[in-house]
Amino acid sequence: MTDVLLPLLVAVPVLAAVAPLLLSLRTTETGWYVAAVTCAVEATLAAAVVRAVSLDGAVRHVVGGYERPYGIELVADGLSAPVVALVAVVALGVLAFAYTAGPRRNSFYSAYLLLVGGLMGVTVTGDLFNMFVFLEITGLATYALVAADRSGRSAVAALKYLILGTTGASLFLIGVGYAFVETGTLNMVDLADRLAGGYGDRTVLASFGFILVGLGLKTAVFPLHTWQPDAYTYAPDTVTTFISALVSTVAAYAVGRVILTVFTPAFFEAVPAARTAVLVFAAVSILAGSALAAVQSEIKRLLAYSSVSQFGLVVAGFALVTPDAVLGAVIHLVGHGLMKGGLFAAAGVMAARHGARTVGDYARLGYRSPVVAGAVGVLGVVLVGVPPSVGFLGKWYIAVGAVRAGAWPIAVVVFLSTLLTLSYVARLLERLYFAGSTEPTVAAGADADADAGTGAEAGVDVDPDPDPVADGGDRPDSRAPAAVSTGMVAVVVAAAVVAVALGFATAAFETFLGGVLP
Amino acid sequence: MTEVGDPRPIVAVLVSVVGTVGILAAHRRPNVREAVTLSVAVAKFGVVASMVPGVLAGDVYVWSLGRFVGVPGGDGVAFALRADALGLLFAALASLLWIITSLYSIGYMRGLEEHGQTRYFAAFAMSLSAAVGVAFASNLLVLFVFYEVLTVATYPLVAHDETGEARAAGRKYLVYTIGGGVAILAGTVLVYRLAGTIAFTPGGIETLAAADPVLARAGFALLVAGFGVKAGLMPLHSWLPDAMVAPTPVSGLLHAVAVVKSGVFGVSRVVLDVYGPETVGKLGVGLPLAVVATVTLLAASVIALRKDHLKRRLAYSTVSQLSYIVLGLALLGPNAIRGGLLHIPAHAFMKLALFFCAGIVHVETHTDHISEMAGIGRRMPVTMAAFAVAAAGMAGIPLVAGFVSKFYLLVGAVEAGGAVFAVALLVSGVLNVAYFWPVVYQAFFQTADDHDAKPVVEAPYGGRRASTLARADGGDEADDDGADPDLDAGDSADDTDADDPDPDVDPEELGRPDFSGETVDRDYGEPAPRVDGEYAVDRHPSDHTVPDADGADDDHGPDAGHDGNDHGPDASVGHDDNDDHGHHGGPPPGGWERRDPLGGESTWFMLGPILAATTGAVALGLVPYAAVFLRLVDAVVSAVGVVG
Repeated sequence: MTDVLLPLLVAVPVLAAVAPLLLSLRTTETGWYVAAVTCAVEATLAAAVVRAVSLDGAVRHVVGGYERPYGIELVADGLSAPVVALVAVVALGVLAFAYTAGPRRNSFYSAYLLLVGGLMGVTVTGDLFNMFVFLEITGLATYALVAADRSGRSAVAALKYLILGTTGASLFLIGVGYAFVETGTLNMVDLADRLAGGYGDRTVLASFGFILVGLGLKTAVFPLHTWQPDAYTYAPDTVTTFISALVSTVAAYAVGRVILTVFTPAFFEAVPAARTAVLVFAAVSILAGSALAAVQSEIKRLLAYSSVSQFGLVVAGFALVTPDAVLGAVIHLVGHGLMKGGLFAAAGVMAARHGARTVGDYARLGYRSPVVAGAVGVLGVVLVGVPPSVGFLGKWYIAVGAVRAGAWPIAVVVFLSTLLTLSYVARLLERLYFAGSTEPTVAAGADADADAGTGAEAGVDVDPDPDPVADGGDRPDSRAPAAVSTGMVAVVVAAAVVAVALGFATAAFETFLGGVLP
Repeated sequence: MTEVGDPRPIVAVLVSVVGTVGILAAHRRPNVREAVTLSVAVAKFGVVASMVPGVLAGDVYVWSLGRFVGVPGGDGVAFALRADALGLLFAALASLLWIITSLYSIGYMRGLEEHGQTRYFAAFAMSLSAAVGVAFASNLLVLFVFYEVLTVATYPLVAHDETGEARAAGRKYLVYTIGGGVAILAGTVLVYRLAGTIAFTPGGIETLAAADPVLARAGFALLVAGFGVKAGLMPLHSWLPDAMVAPTPVSGLLHAVAVVKSGVFGVSRVVLDVYGPETVGKLGVGLPLAVVATVTLLAASVIALRKDHLKRRLAYSTVSQLSYIVLGLALLGPNAIRGGLLHIPAHAFMKLALFFCAGIVHVETHTDHISEMAGIGRRMPVTMAAFAVAAAGMAGIPLVAGFVSKFYLLVGAVEAGGAVFAVALLVSGVLNVAYFWPVVYQAFFQTADDHDAKPVVEAPYGGRRASTLARADGGDEADDDGADPDLDAGDSADDTDADDPDPDVDPEELGRPDFSGETVDRDYGEPAPRVDGEYAVDRHPSDHTVPDADGADDDHGPDAGHDGNDHGPDASVGHDDNDDHGHHGGPPPGGWERRDPLGGESTWFMLGPILAATTGAVALGLVPYAAVFLRLVDAVVSAVGVVG
């Protein structure tokens, strides 16, 4: 049974993605149900994979029976299992959010399922070229989703993402090409074997450089992040929730996979400059991302820059290649996906309820939407890394890893990142609960709230878009959910609860990663 | 010492987490909500107190959730709680005083009709959970976890007022304490790296003693600096006076007991149970810490002399007193440690009583400034008597708690060969008298109409020029005054203070600008240059809303209305939080009325806690062993095994 799990994991959503399109011939809003069934199946499959990994340590499937080095291998091991679980869970959670929040078009759910399939593919593939293919599937589906509200701004954001994302994929492909030229294989395990000994070779170095820059673009590490704030900000809130939780996460997972499995820690030992370069890259990303986040006034943009910073932390963890740092990176990867997903979902709820899009709009919303604001508070504090929470756990392990590896500057940056994160989270929390009650923004927010009920003019007051004519959506704030359901609030609250509860889940992470840590 | 598995430590932590949920759930019914607070407080203290006999008999109660974090292949760090003598000292203190403070909070919050009471009580319960968690943490990491939770849980209390000042204080508080948390985390990681464990071991972790001394010193510095933020060690103390914008029970229990003592407690864990006195001595880091503590305790006392806002004066007193504890720990001798640790409960009882007194005065008379409290002993006899007793204890007068702990500290300082520290302690005692005595003296032996000038508070830094102008607070009121010098002067001042053009000028920092001559926005168009000595005499209470204000001022001639006007806006700038009550501090027109000492001055919800805290302080001073805390301290000292 277990041998077909992996292909099913990838094939089911990709095949199911066709169904909504076919259904469009007869109905218009049935895509959600297809997606719901598919994601439920996907979650079952993911659970089976995770269980198999926890029992056997790894699950392999040789596609078509062609053994390596010629065939393609699908592998789920301790590194991929947490990401598989995250993708399955978030896909289900965002669907629960999308039921009311929309979009409801069938074509949206085709892209949605395609994206799930692509993400699963990247996560479980054991072949470097195959990884490129799935990255492209992921990218294409994401471009479509970002522009799903058919507004002008999201189209521009999607185009920007398309150009930069394709560049990133091309760089990745060049790197893979170099590695293939050097070794004659594309299987990750074979590559690791054949690269050993030739680490100093210029082709190998070039391969590493291209692959890492390519993946860095996809992950949105500073200074390769420029597509990401626009894409997150102008995409519909449902889409932002989904891609912020998963797309960059899976790209960062690919960074970890390439470093650990393909190039292996031995490469870093042989070429310390490569490790230093990646660490500098990551450290700058942590600092710059936080600094940029601290000066944003729009919530989604603030959270987007925060992601730039947090992924710097993850990449740093992978690049340290000590067991604890890698463990920390994986925990932070999963934790950040949950936190950011929850925060963006909350941003969507706030936009729908109160028309709040900027930090200023959030004044005293803590009393008008206590549950969602409470969840934002918890998630924000978790993001800062206040224990007990998954945010703290990740930071702790990365910090211990940095100290053990003697990488003092990284250790300092990791510790500093707490304060830097605090700088923007505290601003948000203060607005939510302690803003002066007489400030005019509250009045504006109240107007917007009243208007949002009719859905007619909500955006006129609050949409930061200076040119509302241009975005062409059916509603002026076309990104915001049409209405707020209990399910949407439940998704936000669940994210907050899980983010805290995972703070006690060290043992689970260690069980999975025990076999794959360097 | 035997370790006994027992769930009581976690129960003690969780009981008020459950309470938080209950308080939030009962937000529509204030009486139920307060009942939840009180019952949870009593239950918490009951659970903690039930562990005292066992711990005194040498048991240690341990509860463990299993491994919290670890390193693959290495031994991990358990999420475990451990009730030993030191932890129980802090937990018993915090949970006992929470009962008193809860009662007081009810009187205070209802007396002021504060907003957001549910949030207040919920955050309070959560803070206490965290404080007890800090007390029972079995290793540095678990301590850090609860320490951070404490930071987050107390933030809503600091920013409670929702004014710009409160938000700024909250921001500062978060930055300071989370910054300190980062240092603690870094120090923890370093110690973990050096020693392989971070579990508290009485007498110190052995492997740490053998570790690289440079890194060990760095770890010590990081940990002490991190905990030093909450412990108010200079120069990391400045969040504490600002946090006094919080409601007074918060200042009392959290900013004199739970939060600041969690910092001191962290320092004592680091010195006694992580490094151990012996290693601290060997590394030579005890002396620098003692010097920092000494500088802090002297400097804070001097600054306190100049503070006219009573809560701020108490805050600086707290900064100073906390350093007594740190000094005791840093001197490393058994008596010094005993004195330092005993000062934790001693200072807690006394300072809580003092804050409660400041709070009750605020609720009853909206008076926050010492210069307005002349003769207030008539109005609040019991309160000011309790204040006098507690203040005497602070100064180390015998029969009150402060004497016992200071006695041990002095003996310990001499034993440790640090006569200079003993001298500093004595000087600080004198300074304590110097900043508390005027409050007590003028409350009972002077009246609002007839009291002495306060040159220390009122004079500007750097001395005063021979000739000064009467007005210090900007010319806008003066114009009002000139146009309409009679009856309405006080009222117009009331109206204008909302639009104060220069709200950033902090009158406390400048020492009450209505006395201080030319320090702020001097208006040279002002027609009435005055000579120094007249102010205190001419200053007349007229800042109330009673319409015949001017009548009371008649005998002062042309200056009177002017002076009253002068007084109004300053008082309100000094305590913005009162503005909404439409009443300014200071005595009413006829001076303070005399109230019945048997409850005529306020509600027993507040008087009771004041008397309870004062009684506790006296009990600690009279019968320290019977009051259990000294026995706990002795148990700590013997467990650490300090050689005399």
